[in-house]
Amino acid sequence: MYKYIIRRLLIFIPMLFALSVIVFGLAKAAPGDPFSTMLDPTIDPEVYEDRRDELGLNDSIPVQYARWIGNAVQGDFGESIVYNSRPVMDLISARFWNTVYLGLVALFFTLIVAIPIGVYSARNPYSILDYFGTGFGFVGLAIPNFFFGLLAIYFLAIKLGWFPPQGTVSGSDVSGMKEFFDRIHHMILPGITLGLASTATYMRYMRSEVIDVLGSDYIRTAKAKGMTDRVVLYKHTLRNALIPIITLMGFEFGVLVGGAVITERIFNYPGLGTLFLDAVINRDYPIVMALTLIFGVFILVGNLLADIFYSVVDPRIRYD
Amino acid sequence: MLNKKFWYLLVVLTLFAFLLVACNSDEGGDDPDDEDEQEQQDDNNEDENNEEEEEEEGPVSGGELVGAMDTAPDGIFNPIFYSEAYEANILDFTHESLAGQNDNLEFIPQLAEDWEANDDQTELTMYLREGVTWHDGEEFNAEDVIYTYTAIASPGYTEAGGIRTTFVQPLVGYEEFSSGEADTFEGVEMVDEYTVKFHFAEPNVNPVYYASYPIIPEHVFGDIPIEEQPSHPATLDAGEVIGTGPFKFTEMVEREEYVLTRHDDYWQGTPYLESIKWDIVDQSVITSLLESGDIDFVADPNGVPAADYEMVDGYENVEMIEQTDFGYQLMGFKMNYRTAEDAEAGTINPDNWVENPDVADQKVRQAIAYAINRQGMVEGLLRGRGSVINAPIAQQFWAYTDEVPQYEYSTEEAEALLDEAGYVDVNDDGFRENPDGEEWVLDLEYPTGNKIREDSAPVIKDDLEKVGIKVELRNPREMSAYSNDIIFNDSEEALDGLDLYLIGWSLGSGDPDPTGLWNIEAQYNISRWNNPESDELINKALQTPDAFDQEFRTQTYQEWQELFATDLPAVILYAQNKIYAYNERLNGVDPLPMGFINDPHLWWVEDAQ
Repeated sequence: MYKYIIRRLLIFIPMLFALSVIVFGLAKAAPGDPFSTMLDPTIDPEVYEDRRDELGLNDSIPVQYARWIGNAVQGDFGESIVYNSRPVMDLISARFWNTVYLGLVALFFTLIVAIPIGVYSARNPYSILDYFGTGFGFVGLAIPNFFFGLLAIYFLAIKLGWFPPQGTVSGSDVSGMKEFFDRIHHMILPGITLGLASTATYMRYMRSEVIDVLGSDYIRTAKAKGMTDRVVLYKHTLRNALIPIITLMGFEFGVLVGGAVITERIFNYPGLGTLFLDAVINRDYPIVMALTLIFGVFILVGNLLADIFYSVVDPRIRYD
Repeated sequence: MLNKKFWYLLVVLTLFAFLLVACNSDEGGDDPDDEDEQEQQDDNNEDENNEEEEEEEGPVSGGELVGAMDTAPDGIFNPIFYSEAYEANILDFTHESLAGQNDNLEFIPQLAEDWEANDDQTELTMYLREGVTWHDGEEFNAEDVIYTYTAIASPGYTEAGGIRTTFVQPLVGYEEFSSGEADTFEGVEMVDEYTVKFHFAEPNVNPVYYASYPIIPEHVFGDIPIEEQPSHPATLDAGEVIGTGPFKFTEMVEREEYVLTRHDDYWQGTPYLESIKWDIVDQSVITSLLESGDIDFVADPNGVPAADYEMVDGYENVEMIEQTDFGYQLMGFKMNYRTAEDAEAGTINPDNWVENPDVADQKVRQAIAYAINRQGMVEGLLRGRGSVINAPIAQQFWAYTDEVPQYEYSTEEAEALLDEAGYVDVNDDGFRENPDGEEWVLDLEYPTGNKIREDSAPVIKDDLEKVGIKVELRNPREMSAYSNDIIFNDSEEALDGLDLYLIGWSLGSGDPDPTGLWNIEAQYNISRWNNPESDELINKALQTPDAFDQEFRTQTYQEWQELFATDLPAVILYAQNKIYAYNERLNGVDPLPMGFINDPHLWWVEDAQ
């Protein structure tokens, strides 16, 4: 098992290297650079040209890449170009935990809603709650998440005042436990918005998977041995039905970190998604590269975790 | 073993669930309190309002104001290094210049009480105000002015990311000092503790403009090497940023809120408002928060979108101000291309330019101007929140004139001009061919990012096709890709024969001089308009000593605008209006033509405690 994990971790290195080459190449192939949107007739274009020379943007792409990778392996991801030379790692770390917490909250809502409803629907197919769950699933998948987010802001935050409409915290003077609860309070609406679509997906998976497992031979055997419904459900059915969910979660892990752009935007929730989008639009290469690597690591780690969890829920799966 | 792991996982998940449930119930407990408090507050407000109505209101001290911006500032709160409008929203409260501008764009005393220039305007003496204190209590004096200008001129400034050298370039000794050849900067001289002399290398028509850059404190930055300034706490951190303005920048939650607290020792008197908070709020939510009163004002740079004007105007608690923006949107004619070699090398040499035959004929350009229904655009796309302008100088300037060819929408005029120029439909395909009878297609390209501008492209195509001009609408590209090509890489091959382009310019309020955009050799002369007469007039308007007379400059700029509108390197499409909105509890608002924030120390709210 440990050997397997170490082997998998070692494979990350060439994969991330390949990823960085591809992303760097693509980023540089796109026309424009950080200064091409800074158009100000009162500022001599020479000034920008000097900055380009200064930053080495006029060197050939392989030279630029070599310089970047040389620094990156030493842990130096450089300085942002657009955010006046602030270290990339500062900008990322300021937003990193926001994104991770939001992702966890979204995942949490997804699981506590999707699994119980999914299981219930599977055991009581064509019941009222099953239809309700199916209906909710279709609506959840169909409704664009910016629209759901705006509705939530308008009704739950502005009209009813239950939740704060924007941001991650009420002010810089909130601290301690109060800050903790305040931050969670701020996370609920964006968390639900972000988790909505996957809730619907998980629910459908859970339902069909449980129905599938309930019909299998070993369940019948278990029942024939006189096991109670509870034991059959928790010990035999759920564990087997969870496998596809774990696969999904493994993928989702990476997506939650990088894919929350829209939710982050409308809730003004400063996270990595918006930082990435802005960096791409502004051609802020150092940020783009650092974030790409982080997203890459997350997706790889997510998949690795999924593989490890397989063996936890299903002892038949072993890695050597 | 495995079983155990599974149960651990379950226990952890359950604990997490409990935790959140606990939080929720806690929040549930908090909420009613909040509401009660709010209600109480509302009651108080009503009471106070009633009282005030009885005793006729006057400015009251205290209270908090909440403004909204749709994008967070990048975070450089240092006037000599900041680069964008969102940072300016904070710096406008915290920092001041020697001279400000009034409603008529005339320079008025701010940190300088008075000034005088010598006869040939090569020397400008600024007499500084005494008794002005920085936010940290230190006295403001000539050292600070000298320091600010020396810092902008110093070697290493541009390397550190500074882009404001425009303000020091005309001063004596800039080249020598910035290149490191000279040890001192001769352009600014300290006469005594409250007198500073600016020395210009050449007679300058608008010296006060150059002397009006915001001042930063010498006692804070003096010992910090210029290259460290952008990353220094005094540039980045709330509470460390020091200016002389009416409000101090005291707290921030980065990218979420920025709090300004009043500067009690402000030289024009203590501001009424206790504090002003900027909330960063997504554009789509701003209007609802205005209605609910959670935010009090929204102003620069984007204000209220024209499409929401009617709705916001309907809110009973919201007042609106609409004024013309400093700038315009245009459709340019790509009259000349650079050669690929020149574009590569970055040289701008009109002798090498390659003419674009598709729009080379002045009559064709005029016909196109007639064919575009600009009034219709203002009515339709801008919902009437803007105006048609005909000359490329901001309307607020003394130099602007409307007495130029107007090109009022007329398909007849357009068709007549096209016929006259020989562009007629010879093969009956419904579109005109060029005078040689060959196919004539105009390629129009535009950037994304400005919804109204994006929408105007198909309208233009439609209008032009009505008079028989075939237009090929290219796929829009994002601004960085687009501008890189049309401005810096504008050879015929690279642009693939582009004929028409859309772009917008925001103009400065300091001086109407159009050199940076329309001079033949200006980088941003995207049309590559090569009309020596134009350069002659632009230069004449800056030629001293005649140009010391504003009347003379006005006259010259009017001639230039007429030339522009006749030769037509670009059709100026429209100038959009800025729409500001603020809660009626806010009083004392008096926006300047160039921005909402003016004398914020005089702002006050009715419900101050």
